[in-house]
Amino acid sequence: MKIHFYTRYLIITVFCFLIAIGIVIQLIRIQSMEDYAAILAQNKGYEGSFVTLIPDRGRIFDRKGSLLAGNETTYEVGLDLVNIDDPETIANAVSSILGLDYYETLTYANIKAGQDGRYYIVLDDFVPAEKIEQLQILKEDYQNREIPKKQKRPSLSGLMWTEHTKRSYPEGSLASNVIGFYKFLDRTGGMGYYGVEGAYNDILSGTPVEVFIPNDPQLVTELPDIQKGADLILTIDREIQTMAENVLDESLDWSGAESGTILIANPEDGSILAMATTPRLDLNQYWQYDQIFVNPTPFNNAISKSYEPGSVFKVLTMAAALDNGAVTPNTIFSDVGSILVGGAYIYNWNYGAWGDQDMTGCMQHSLNVCLAWVATELGEDAFYNYMRNFGLDRNTGVDLAGELHYPLRLPGDNQWYEVDLATNSFGQGISTTPIQMVMSVSALANDGKMMSPHVTKSMIIDDHQYEVNPVIVGSPIKPETAHTITEMLAVSLEQEASNALVDGYRVAGKTGTAEIATEFGYTSNVTNTSFVGWGPTDDPKFLVYVWLEKPTISIWGSEVAAPVFSEIVQKLVVLMGIPPDSIRMNIASN
Amino acid sequence: MKNDLIQAYRQSPWRIQLQWIGMFLLLLVLVAAIAGVYLNLSARSAASGRQVQMLENKIEDLNMEINDLSTKLAKISSSQAMLSRLEESEYILINPNQAFYLEVSGFEPDTGFVLAPPASENTVSSPVLKPEYSNSLWDRLLELIDKTVLDFSEDSEVRP
Repeated sequence: MKIHFYTRYLIITVFCFLIAIGIVIQLIRIQSMEDYAAILAQNKGYEGSFVTLIPDRGRIFDRKGSLLAGNETTYEVGLDLVNIDDPETIANAVSSILGLDYYETLTYANIKAGQDGRYYIVLDDFVPAEKIEQLQILKEDYQNREIPKKQKRPSLSGLMWTEHTKRSYPEGSLASNVIGFYKFLDRTGGMGYYGVEGAYNDILSGTPVEVFIPNDPQLVTELPDIQKGADLILTIDREIQTMAENVLDESLDWSGAESGTILIANPEDGSILAMATTPRLDLNQYWQYDQIFVNPTPFNNAISKSYEPGSVFKVLTMAAALDNGAVTPNTIFSDVGSILVGGAYIYNWNYGAWGDQDMTGCMQHSLNVCLAWVATELGEDAFYNYMRNFGLDRNTGVDLAGELHYPLRLPGDNQWYEVDLATNSFGQGISTTPIQMVMSVSALANDGKMMSPHVTKSMIIDDHQYEVNPVIVGSPIKPETAHTITEMLAVSLEQEASNALVDGYRVAGKTGTAEIATEFGYTSNVTNTSFVGWGPTDDPKFLVYVWLEKPTISIWGSEVAAPVFSEIVQKLVVLMGIPPDSIRMNIASN
Repeated sequence: MKNDLIQAYRQSPWRIQLQWIGMFLLLLVLVAAIAGVYLNLSARSAASGRQVQMLENKIEDLNMEINDLSTKLAKISSSQAMLSRLEESEYILINPNQAFYLEVSGFEPDTGFVLAPPASENTVSSPVLKPEYSNSLWDRLLELIDKTVLDFSEDSEVRP
């Protein structure tokens, strides 16, 4: 009996021992196999997966919090070839809802899983949520539909959609030249181009992080904090921008101008309130860029297109001469209709002689001869030093991608001639961009302090808001000079009964009509018309620059650009809440 | 004298067997109790892990929803949309001379859009997982022992 039990125990023991030996041998065999590394990697795959977390691109707001650039959910629609039950129903659904080709989809849906190594096929991308909702409703309808027993149930099994975000520009083309665009169709290597999207691409995009997501819930940990894309709040005011673009479009219509630019800035801090230019692009369809910006049209004329500004430039020449002491407002110049500088005669715009004129009269009648004389009185060294101090020999550094400037020709350069001193004094033979002019003139409107133009008001990084402080880039003239030139220009507009005047508000400014250089020389038939002005003169809150290129209704800045300035200011003071001068004075005196 | 003492009896075998069985059962209960605690904690830890994953997914979904809703709101209230609504409602932009200005003492004009607190302000750090969610059973045991020892040492302190 005992022996019987012992035999049984022995057999069980040997059996267990053999199993254990077998397991050990199998373990050793697996570890010495050639495919060991592959098996190990496969096992790693079961443990979890590495996922790249891409932070949402930072949003862009206007100064009052209106969203200018955000993100929205879109979907990638594809076929999971393993789970397809009904290729015809899938082809029908995607052709009717997504507008894809029925036969092409059917061909894809009939591919066997694993054929050519394919298990998943992308049918469409950037599909809006509404379309996905329709597919979802259809899918549920098929699942819940009562079907007779012998009939096959239609199914969308195998049709799948995956969500991801895309850049969205709710305002379409509004301020498009300032915002720039993000190439969202490129989901892995998308970048920001032009404007704010280009200039701040790095901080808007954040830092992607690769993390391991374990399948074992015991190993799950909190996802690491990923560096989100910074949000930007711009100095642009959406209402003012809309107004500026509408006024610009209307003025292009009635003046027949080829293109135009309007810049509105706060001279006290250099912030840009509006930057309207043409052409504009619907940023949600950025791929139309090539059709709209036909070479060599810059994306933003305000910062990239230089031109000879003409008589608006006289404000800088006069400011320099007053500051230097070469002239005073009461200095009398006897205009005989021409002046010889560097071997060339300079004439007035009407080729007339205006007799004795003080400096205000010279500005009021925009006398080229007088300003050429003023420049010679100032001297070439002083004149070009002032122009450099006004920042005309460099980029302004505005925080927008794509800023360009035309080099300032200086005495001693190969291309510089003595007559250039005279022509430069009234804005011919010298090229600037509108943003350069705005920065320079901001010194005249801001007690001599020239502010760095900028479009970013603040940034939100890691849930903290950082304000962008205004930067003084120079003080090219003294405060007294700024007050004097402002007064002279205000008086000259009033005496001229200019089209630029605004009822109830005292403004200072200057028109500009510039001949355009062609391969056959300068032409008077086609001009660049401009106006630069600021106000209220006692405490300037806005500076407006208007440039209309090649208007057909008139060649004169006083008839084309000045009324546009006036219209802009009339609407601007309402939007900015600036009361008429009389009311402000009354409040101040109380 | 002590060495002269001889045990005159021995326990009956069934008592000894009973003691062994009792000891074995006690050990079994102890092992079962530890296993139970371990299972309970690992099950809770696994459930918490899943919950963390679900919450992370929910955060992502909510972020996407916030993005969607704010973009949708921005589209609905875009300048073009608002202008057409104003036109439909027959509103017009007034002439500056039509505006009526009133002096309101103490009125502070809007200083700008604030989306987040300034960098200088002290802020609470972002919530992190409690240690209970990442401690091992061993860590928990050590922590428990430390706490117990501390409690005893505090209790034994003589206070005047």
